[in-house]
Amino acid sequence: MSDILTNIGYGHFLVLAAVLFLIGVAGVLVRRNALIILMSVELMLNAANVTLLTFSRMWGDLSAHTFALVVIAVAAAEASVGLAIVVAVFRGRRNVEVDRLTTLRH
Amino acid sequence: MSRTGFVLWIVVAMVGAAFAATPARADTACAADIEMAVRSALPAAKPGVVGVHCGAVTESRTVNGRLESVPASVVAAEVVLSDGRVATARVKKDEGGKLQVVGVTYQHADLVESTGWGVAVLFWVFALFSIAGALFVITRRNLIAAVMGMVGSFLGIAVIYMMLYAQFLAVIQMLVYAGAIMVLFVFVVMILNRPEDEPVAPSGRAGQVLGGVATLYLVVRLITTLTRVEPPNLEIAMTAPQPQCVTAASPCPEADRADWGSVKAVGGDLFGPGLFPFEAVSILLLVAVVGAIAIARPLRDDSEDSEDGGDASHAHGGAA
Repeated sequence: MSDILTNIGYGHFLVLAAVLFLIGVAGVLVRRNALIILMSVELMLNAANVTLLTFSRMWGDLSAHTFALVVIAVAAAEASVGLAIVVAVFRGRRNVEVDRLTTLRH
Repeated sequence: MSRTGFVLWIVVAMVGAAFAATPARADTACAADIEMAVRSALPAAKPGVVGVHCGAVTESRTVNGRLESVPASVVAAEVVLSDGRVATARVKKDEGGKLQVVGVTYQHADLVESTGWGVAVLFWVFALFSIAGALFVITRRNLIAAVMGMVGSFLGIAVIYMMLYAQFLAVIQMLVYAGAIMVLFVFVVMILNRPEDEPVAPSGRAGQVLGGVATLYLVVRLITTLTRVEPPNLEIAMTAPQPQCVTAASPCPEADRADWGSVKAVGGDLFGPGLFPFEAVSILLLVAVVGAIAIARPLRDDSEDSEDGGDASHAHGGAA
């Protein structure tokens, strides 16, 4: 038991990434506010990045860093477009609960 | 499914992941000749060899279209050193049947010590910090609280990046996520939120005094820090110990270099093999900017009341 606590290996980082990913998944599934859902997606992308960097360190391969950088850029683009959609939806309907969004027009 | 069901599901998944991640150690003893070769290749100096364990001595290879396990050409032997570290030695059998150690890497071969209590405390503190922030995000009703939990989670993840020797990405994480994306979220929350969700803060005379003292402290600390900065001392930088590999014959593996994950190393990869993704990302960001503006632009029936009259008339001119 104390071996798991003090001897930090790659497995710890992978489990941390898995836990963060699961929290993100739970956020997407449980919450109804579109903003929280977007944040949970960001969380999942971050967890994927932690996994990438762990394997990068494991194999001594730097190309995963480039990959992680691309993931961060894609996350930024996704956040900007997603938030724009949230703002547009809010302007038409005065709320951003995804359960109430059932039609494309307002 | 109910919320309790989801929480239960997460707990089960966490426990399962913890069991699955328990590392498998190679514990079979090596053949005597391999152990001899490894022991003779390692320096006889201070970290003594406690034991040598071999991993898989066979490997799967396709022979005549069938998958067979053949004796591995390179055997990875785990060498347990007396100071508690584990090194991996790769032993290769050359044509003459002579065993040859082709490379030895310490588990974390940098000079940065990354085993023991310090790193364990660091990992657990920031791992729990990021998990707590993430839980904060998905449980809070107040959106600003959720965003702040997200910022805390990103800070913890940035430290985790540091522990994985990704210094450059840790800084990028702080700048892009905690800096830019979260500010964007705060802006949207401010646009959407009704005024009743005000964040809790000490207000009135006491709050003003507290804020003034905190600001004064920050300014004084900044000034004293900035006046104490010394120019870089090249002499010290040049004499700093360099990382070294055990066998001088083989070149240092890339992962053992001290600047692994630095701006220079990542940049070399980004502008070399990763040049196309880099350029593609720039186009993606441009598309995202244009798309965000196009989507968030006021609709025509929204804009007729006040501010966007010029835009509406432009649209009419384009149609005519």
